[in-house]
Amino acid sequence: MIFKALFQQLLTKPVTNRFPAKYMPKSVVGFLAKVEKGEAKLTPPVPVTEGFRGRIAYDREKCIGCQLCIRVCPARVIEFKPEEKKIRMYVARCTYCAQCVDVCPVGALSRSQDFLLADYDRFSPDLIVE
Amino acid sequence: MSGLNALWQAILVLVGGGAIGFLYKGLDRKLAARLQGRIGPPLRQPVLDVVKLLLKENVVPRTAVPWLFQAAPFLAFVAAVTALLYLPVGSLSPVLHSYGDLVLLLYLLAIPALAMAVGGFASGSPYAVVGAQREIVMMMSYEFPLAIAAVGIAWRLSTLGIGPSFSLATIAANPLWGLVGPLGWIGLFLLFVALLVVTPAELSKIPFDIPEAETEIAGGLLVEYSGVNLALFYLADVIKTLVIAGLVVALFIPYGIAAPLGIAGIGGKTLDILFFLVKLFAVIFVAVTVIRVAFARLKVDQVAKLYLLPTTFISLAGLLLLVLDKVVMGG
Amino acid sequence: MKEVRLEPEEMSEKKLEKTCPTCFEVPIGPIHPALKEGIRFTFWVEGEKIKKVDIRPGFMHRGIEFMGTKRNLVQLIYLAERICGICSVSHPLALVQAVEAAAGIEVPPRAQYIRVIIGELERIHSHLLWAGVAAHELGFDTLLHYVWKVREPVLDLLEDITGNRIDYAIPIYGGVRRDIPPEKYPKLKDALRYYRSLVDDFVNFFLRDPSIEARTRDVGILTREEADVLCAVGPTARASGLRKDVRQDWPYFTYPDLEVKALTPEDMGLEVRGDVYDRIVVRLLEVVQSIQIIERCLEEMPEGEITSVPKVAALLAQLKKAEGEGIGRHEAPRGEVIHYIRLEADKEAPVVWKVKAPTYSNFMPWFPMFEDQEIADIPIVAASIDPCICCMERVYLVRGEREEVVWKEELLKLSREKTKRVASRLARHAPWGRKG
Repeated sequence: MIFKALFQQLLTKPVTNRFPAKYMPKSVVGFLAKVEKGEAKLTPPVPVTEGFRGRIAYDREKCIGCQLCIRVCPARVIEFKPEEKKIRMYVARCTYCAQCVDVCPVGALSRSQDFLLADYDRFSPDLIVE
Repeated sequence: MSGLNALWQAILVLVGGGAIGFLYKGLDRKLAARLQGRIGPPLRQPVLDVVKLLLKENVVPRTAVPWLFQAAPFLAFVAAVTALLYLPVGSLSPVLHSYGDLVLLLYLLAIPALAMAVGGFASGSPYAVVGAQREIVMMMSYEFPLAIAAVGIAWRLSTLGIGPSFSLATIAANPLWGLVGPLGWIGLFLLFVALLVVTPAELSKIPFDIPEAETEIAGGLLVEYSGVNLALFYLADVIKTLVIAGLVVALFIPYGIAAPLGIAGIGGKTLDILFFLVKLFAVIFVAVTVIRVAFARLKVDQVAKLYLLPTTFISLAGLLLLVLDKVVMGG
Repeated sequence: MKEVRLEPEEMSEKKLEKTCPTCFEVPIGPIHPALKEGIRFTFWVEGEKIKKVDIRPGFMHRGIEFMGTKRNLVQLIYLAERICGICSVSHPLALVQAVEAAAGIEVPPRAQYIRVIIGELERIHSHLLWAGVAAHELGFDTLLHYVWKVREPVLDLLEDITGNRIDYAIPIYGGVRRDIPPEKYPKLKDALRYYRSLVDDFVNFFLRDPSIEARTRDVGILTREEADVLCAVGPTARASGLRKDVRQDWPYFTYPDLEVKALTPEDMGLEVRGDVYDRIVVRLLEVVQSIQIIERCLEEMPEGEITSVPKVAALLAQLKKAEGEGIGRHEAPRGEVIHYIRLEADKEAPVVWKVKAPTYSNFMPWFPMFEDQEIADIPIVAASIDPCICCMERVYLVRGEREEVVWKEELLKLSREKTKRVASRLARHAPWGRKG
C-alpha cells in the first residue's frame, strides 16, 4: 500500500523550504535583530521567477501624468497629485495585477520582485510609492 | 525502611517515566512527520505544549456539570500514573506488585478512557456527547481481545505450575516462548498481533481516533477542555502510551540483554533498563507511529466490527492453540 | 421519472419531535474544522444516524456583483478573479467570453490556445488540492501532505508562465496578456511528464487503499435521476453517470478542435454508483485528460498575436461604445460557471452582471446525499462536491421567527442604512482613517 512510499520519505530530506528558520524562534523580532547583528542566519525564501508580479516600481521622470493607470486600477491604489502631475501609489491596497504596467504609454511603471512587504502601519513610507 | 525505599523508587519511576514519556511522544511526532515528508516539530515540543496549556485559562462551560467536568482529567491522570508503578522495568521488579496485578492493570488502563467519556458527557456540548458515545462503543469492542490476550498468557503460565501467574513480575521473569511447544508459539504470536492491533485504539490514535475526530466533531470529547484540565488529559495520554507499550513488552518480549552477554551487577541492570526502553520505543513505533500515518480514520461501526469480529477471532484462535499446546505437552 | 423528494413528508420538524424523542441537534458550521468556508449545517441525529439536514448559506456574501457595477470593464476582470481563489481563472474566462459576445470583439487563435492551457493547468491544480482536502477530511493527513507537495510543480509552473501562483491575471478582452514563449515549452512538458508518472501512485494511494475504500464506497450516493432533476454539474454530475460537460456540449475557445468528452467512472471500467469513491475516480480521470489536452495544445498552437486590441486605452474606448448583452460559460473544475453581462453605450460600468457559480447548482444535491448517512460521513460528503461557497453566495435574511428572501432593492437600502450606522459609530470611537 502506502508503506513503501512512507519509508522512502523517511529516508529523504524534506522539501520544505526552511524560511526564515528551521524551528519557530521564541521571538520573531528578537530573531531578526540577531540576524542583523550576524549572530543567526536567515534561510532565504524560494526565489521567484523573472516574470513575477511583485510591488510596482515607479519611474518619476518618465511619468507624463496621463492618469491611464488610475483608470484601470481595480483596487484604487493610485492617487493623482495634480500640482506635480505625478502619481502616488498605496501599496497596502495593491492586488499586484500589473494592469497599470501594461497600460502605461511611456513605461514609467514596471514590475519588481519585492514581495516581503509586511508592515505594522499601512501608510508607512515603505508602503507608499511616489 | 522498605516503605521509604518504595517511596523513592516510586518517585524515580514517576519522574523517569514522565521524562521518557515526553521524549517518546516528541520522537513519535518527529518520526511521523518525517514519514509524511515534513520537518516536524522539535523533540521538546510536548513539553512546550504542556507548559503552554498550564498557562492558559481553565474554562468551564455554563452547561457542563462542574464537579464531574473538573474531576475527570484528574481521575484519568491518577489512574495512568498508578498503572505506571505496576510495570516491570528491565530486570527490576515493579514498584508495586501483588498476586493479581495483571487484572488490576487492565482495570487501570480502562479508567482514563472512561474518565474521558464521562468528562465528555459532562461537557454540555453536542460534539462532546457524540465523542463520548463513540468512546464507550470503542471501549466495549477492544476490551474483549485485550482481556483474552492477557488472561491467555496468565492461564498458560499457571498450568505450567509457575505462580503467582497473574503477577506481572512473574510473567516478565518467565517468558512463555521458551516454555511452550510449536503450537504454543503460533498461539502466542496470534495473541501478540491481537494486542498490537488493540494498542492504537487504547490510545485513541488513527485509524481508531474516532472519539476525538478533529475534522468531524472538532475534537470530540475533549472539545470543551482547556488549560490545566487539558494538560492533565495530555499527560494521561503520554503516560498511558508508556503503560500500554510496557504491558506489551512485559507480556510478550520481556527478555533482558545483560544475562546473555554475561554482564552482572549495576552495569547489567542499567543495560537491561536501556534495552527495555529501546523495546518500548520499538513497540510504540510499530503499533502507533507507522499505523497512524498509513490509514484513514475508520467509522465507529467499522471499528466495532473490526474488533468484535476479526481481532476477537484471532485472539480466540490464539487461546485455543495455547489450550491445545497444554494438551499436547501434557501438563 | 422517479420523483425526487428533498424534504420527505415524514421528516418535518414537528413529526421528528414526535417520532424520535432521542434525536438531538448537531450544528456543523459556520466555523468548523470540516468546512473550508462558512456555511451552516444543522443535523438532527439519533445516535450516529442522520435523520434530517438543514443547510443555510449566507455567511460569505461580499456583494461582488454590486461592486462590479461601480467599476469599468477592465477593473472587472480582477474583481472577477478574486471571487474564488482556487477556480480563480474560471471566472475571468467566462467574463471575457461574455463581454466579447456583447461587444463583438474577436480573439486570435493563439490566445484561445493559451486560455485553454491556463484553464487546464488550473484544473489539475484544483483537483490535486481537492484530493488533499478530501484526504484530510478522512483523517488521512499523510495523503494531504503528499498531494500538496506534488501540487507544487504546477504552481511553480504557473508562476513562471503568468507571474503569480494563484491569481493569474491572464485573460483580457480580445486575447491574453502574456504569451507562452517557446523557451518555456520544455518546462511545461517536463511538468506534464512528471504528473503522468505520478498517476499510478495516485491510483494506488487513493483508489486501492482499504481504509479510503471503507470510508467512501456507498457513502453520499447521488443517483442519476437525482443528479438530472437537481441539475448537478461538473464532476458531481459525471460521477453519477450523466455525461455533461460544457467543453463537450457547447464548445468554446479551441475545444471544438480538441473534441473533449465528458468522463464518467465507466471510462475506467467501474460500475457507476454515484458515491464519493466515484467522484474521486472522475477527478483523477480529469487530471489525466487535462494533461492530454495541454500536450495536444502545445503541439497544435499556431503562431500569431496574442490579443486583437493591444492598446488598453483603445480597448476601454471600444468597450465604452459597446451595447448589448452576452453570456460566457466555462467548465470550471467544479462544473459550469456562467457569467451574464449587459452593457450600455457611454457607460463604463456594466449595467447588469450576474455570476452563476458551479457550486450553486451542486448545492441542492447535498440533501439527497446526506440521507441515511452517519455523522462520521458529514465532512467527506460535504467536501465531495468540492464546495466553493464564496463563489455561490446569495443572501438569506431571517427576521425573528419569520423567514423571507429579501430582494435587491430592499437589501441595498438595509445595507446602506447599516453602513451609515457603523460609520457614524466608528467616527465617534476610533480615530483611524486616511491620513493626508
